[in-house]
Amino acid sequence: MQNSTPKDIGSINFGLMEPEEYREMSATKIITADTYDDDGFPIDMGLMDPRLGVIDPGLECKTCGKHSGSCNGHFGHIELAAPVIHVGFTKLIRRLLRGTCRECSKLLLTEDEREEFRDDITESRKLGRDLNDVTKAAIRQARKKDRCPHCGEIQYDIDHEKPTTYYEVQQVLTSEYSQRIAGAMQGDEEAGIDRTSPDELAEKTEIELSRINEILSGSFRPREDQRKAIEKALDIDLTEEDTNKLMPSDIRDWFENIPDEDIEVLGIDSDRSRPEWMILTVLPVPPVTARPSITLDNGQRSEDDLTHKLVDIIRINQRFMENREAGAPQLIIEDLWELLQYHVTTFMDNEISGTPPARHRSGRPLKTLSQRLKGKEGRFRGSLSGKRVNFSARTVISPDPTLSLNEVGVPDRVASEMTQTMNVTERNVEEARRYVSNGPEAHPGANYVRRPDGRRLKVTEKNCEQLAEKVDAGWEVNRHLVDGDIVIFNRQPSLHRMSIMAHEVVVMPYKTFRLNTVVCPPYNADFDGDEMNMHALQNEEARAEARVLMRVQEQILSPRFGENIIGAIQDHISGMYLLTHNNPRFNETQALDLLRATRIDELPEPSGIDDEDDPFWTGYDVFSELLPDDLNLEFTGTVGEDVVVENGQLIEGTIAEDEVGEFGGEIVDRITKEYGNTRSRIFINEVSTLAMRAIMHFGFSIGIDDETIPGEAQNRIDETIDDAYDRVQELIEAYERNELESLPGRTIDETLEMKIMQTLSRARDNAGNIADEHFTNENPAVVMAESGARGSMLNLTQMAGCVGQQAVRGERINRGYEDRTLSHYEPNDLSAEAHGFVENSYTSGLTPREFFFHAMGGREGLVDTAVRTSKSGYLQRRLINALSELETQYDGTVRDTSDTIVQFEFGEDGTSPVKVSSGDENNVDVEEIAGRVLDSEFDSESDRADFLGIDREVTNLSEHADDRLTEHTEVPSDD
Amino acid sequence: MVDVSKHELVPEHTILEDDDLEEVLSEYDIDRTDLPKIKRTDAALPDDAEIGDVIKIVRDSRTTDQAVVYRLVVE
Repeated sequence: MQNSTPKDIGSINFGLMEPEEYREMSATKIITADTYDDDGFPIDMGLMDPRLGVIDPGLECKTCGKHSGSCNGHFGHIELAAPVIHVGFTKLIRRLLRGTCRECSKLLLTEDEREEFRDDITESRKLGRDLNDVTKAAIRQARKKDRCPHCGEIQYDIDHEKPTTYYEVQQVLTSEYSQRIAGAMQGDEEAGIDRTSPDELAEKTEIELSRINEILSGSFRPREDQRKAIEKALDIDLTEEDTNKLMPSDIRDWFENIPDEDIEVLGIDSDRSRPEWMILTVLPVPPVTARPSITLDNGQRSEDDLTHKLVDIIRINQRFMENREAGAPQLIIEDLWELLQYHVTTFMDNEISGTPPARHRSGRPLKTLSQRLKGKEGRFRGSLSGKRVNFSARTVISPDPTLSLNEVGVPDRVASEMTQTMNVTERNVEEARRYVSNGPEAHPGANYVRRPDGRRLKVTEKNCEQLAEKVDAGWEVNRHLVDGDIVIFNRQPSLHRMSIMAHEVVVMPYKTFRLNTVVCPPYNADFDGDEMNMHALQNEEARAEARVLMRVQEQILSPRFGENIIGAIQDHISGMYLLTHNNPRFNETQALDLLRATRIDELPEPSGIDDEDDPFWTGYDVFSELLPDDLNLEFTGTVGEDVVVENGQLIEGTIAEDEVGEFGGEIVDRITKEYGNTRSRIFINEVSTLAMRAIMHFGFSIGIDDETIPGEAQNRIDETIDDAYDRVQELIEAYERNELESLPGRTIDETLEMKIMQTLSRARDNAGNIADEHFTNENPAVVMAESGARGSMLNLTQMAGCVGQQAVRGERINRGYEDRTLSHYEPNDLSAEAHGFVENSYTSGLTPREFFFHAMGGREGLVDTAVRTSKSGYLQRRLINALSELETQYDGTVRDTSDTIVQFEFGEDGTSPVKVSSGDENNVDVEEIAGRVLDSEFDSESDRADFLGIDREVTNLSEHADDRLTEHTEVPSDD
Repeated sequence: MVDVSKHELVPEHTILEDDDLEEVLSEYDIDRTDLPKIKRTDAALPDDAEIGDVIKIVRDSRTTDQAVVYRLVVE
């Protein structure tokens, strides 16, 4: 328990580690590859040496004396028999080899150039730019040098054979130089090259004739300048590539001599890192706690992948040493060296391209260091940023229109598994005892209690009665979830903040989470098998925060477009349309039935008296009961007519999508902004229940007969389509006679295609219009399309009139066979039916050929959506990763974590989209309203000052506590 | 050649005087390198803007009348 005080992290440095440092921090040197002896005890200086930490409970760590669990483990080390390259740095090693002199190890740049790059680096650092751009440029310039500017040594190319082999490539004189020279001197008659005699060659190259003869006989190797002269004279190449392998020890010697000032130009901090440390001479051995061995059921021990890899390394290391001491030939030493390199490489990364991965005996590739960190299940994405949580539940969702939009139906078996901690005090001790006495099985029960001394006791069926008596102030009781508890509810993918909202629990029978259908849009949920997650909150702070900030009603307005995202959907909209379109009349029973699920329990004055002397209420008046009394609105509605609300009474217009729907229903939006979220929640709940009552009153169903048109209409449609076919035929004939005039910027072919498409789409529209004439306004499909509940007039046209042209890539269907779409058509048939025009409607049925074209168009749509979702998902991830650390500061600026300014004022105007009025016409003049209210409320300035001094805000409470608000018909604004 | 800076959609770019710059930097409590950047080659810059200058950009805004932004000229 000592040293457990929290510590501040001052700074973190990344750099290379010195071999000496590895040795210093090592608890022991590891020399033997064995792990345990015959008695099952770890072998000293073996891979499981007790000084490396303890994993077996009860044992004491030999290094720090702690027990398993508190001892973090200690590193050991292996002395490598020969240096090997660290795979993580192969690119940097290559860069250094290319940028420094092979002789004096200095950077291949003149002093001036070096200073220039050094300045660039300091500037880049200051501006927060990528240092790599500068260092890469430095290396590029250094590579251009043929000779070292310091010692004059010739520089060779460095070849890198992945992963860890480096070669120096030199151009040397080929061994067949005499044959090549002789061949070239022969000349080539066909190419018009004359023979060259040795005399001439001697003259051209200014080499003595005797030398030339010696060279030609192969007894003298020409020196470099002579070689070049001959090459020039005969226009031949006398060189071949000679590769010279650089051993890790050579590279280490090379790097040791690089001066500190030169490294800094390459972006390496010479105080902390030396390039030669990229070549390993000592290998740190991770503590046993990082590679615990597992005891199987049969008592056998199974070692971790890392341990297996370390065993390999030690074995090869020992063989290497033995062979070298025995004076084995260079070839064998090099083979062993390569093997050692392979094992050390795969110990660090076992997924290198070009190297076969090291495998377990079963053939499974080993999971080594980099595999533990990388990827979705790796340490970073899997263990550190993504964690599994307790107190969470997941199940299928289903709808329940009787719930408030703030609520969630929780299955009783979930409620009795997830608990809330109750701190027992004198005031709730009775309640707490009641929970405990119910035991863990009965629903409002308790699963655990914690005594004041910290002992946790499980509540069981047997001990619950006794335990309940003992519970007293100071205890903690983990009670079941009950109605009114706040929980967090989430549906993946969590794309915006409304994907995670807080709901109040309503415990229910059966196995699904129940939610009100109006919260489907923010979660993007439906009930075709969707599952959602629930999280129970575990402390008061979290619960309060969730209640005030995250509850569904606080999310009615979307920050994306500043209008409501929650509102009536689908049948609610059809229902509202039926209720208000043509303003139907209801008798007292019917009107009361419509309003029975709302808080209205008394009808207003009747709207009028009908012919039989009975009072009636109109749809407008019934709907107006839900509106705030002083609401005034006027706008153009869904149906195209004006919607007028005066003093909370609907005077004119039809209520449908643009009035109360999701994504910007005008009335909902207005109520939320002017009367607050609580009033808005009540309104949405009541609109949806009223709409359900209304749609049930009128009855609403759709069947195939609703889309069938009389034969007379069918004949007219057929005529229209035949007419279009004729016009298409005319177009084709005009095209074939070359009489078609091309549209500006189009070829003749394109013009023809466009005109045909136009003709056919007009034909489809006409067919649709003919079909529409036969549908009354009561037709359910028309009601849904008109009100915006679901579907469009186009869908109706396709069902009743004509499906129309099928398109792939925005053109008529042109693919399939050579010059034709299907073998049913003549080649180069340009007619409508040969290119995917479907003249039938969905009700009349498609011909096989039409069906095939329709499937082609349909498939494209399907593929498009699949590609779009995956593309946009990735784009979203990248965008969010880039923006996630931006934060609005108290001074109004938006800054990133390094405090550089991104925006001087949030969104350039410092306003929240949610708080801004949506329309230009109805700007909310806050100060004017506030002034008006205050003026009418108070007689004198002092009264006002008195009042403002004790300004109490309406606390945002649970729905259960809202009763005092809903008792009055009107609800005070809460913003 | 078209002078982009005269285009109606290009907001006004002016070089910030040293005194004003001090004020801005102290208002936001930042170094000049913490400012957003603008390239010297940006066509909207005034001709005499040099690397290291700070530019004041005044934009028309739909919600506030004017939005002011400062940028550091870099190479």
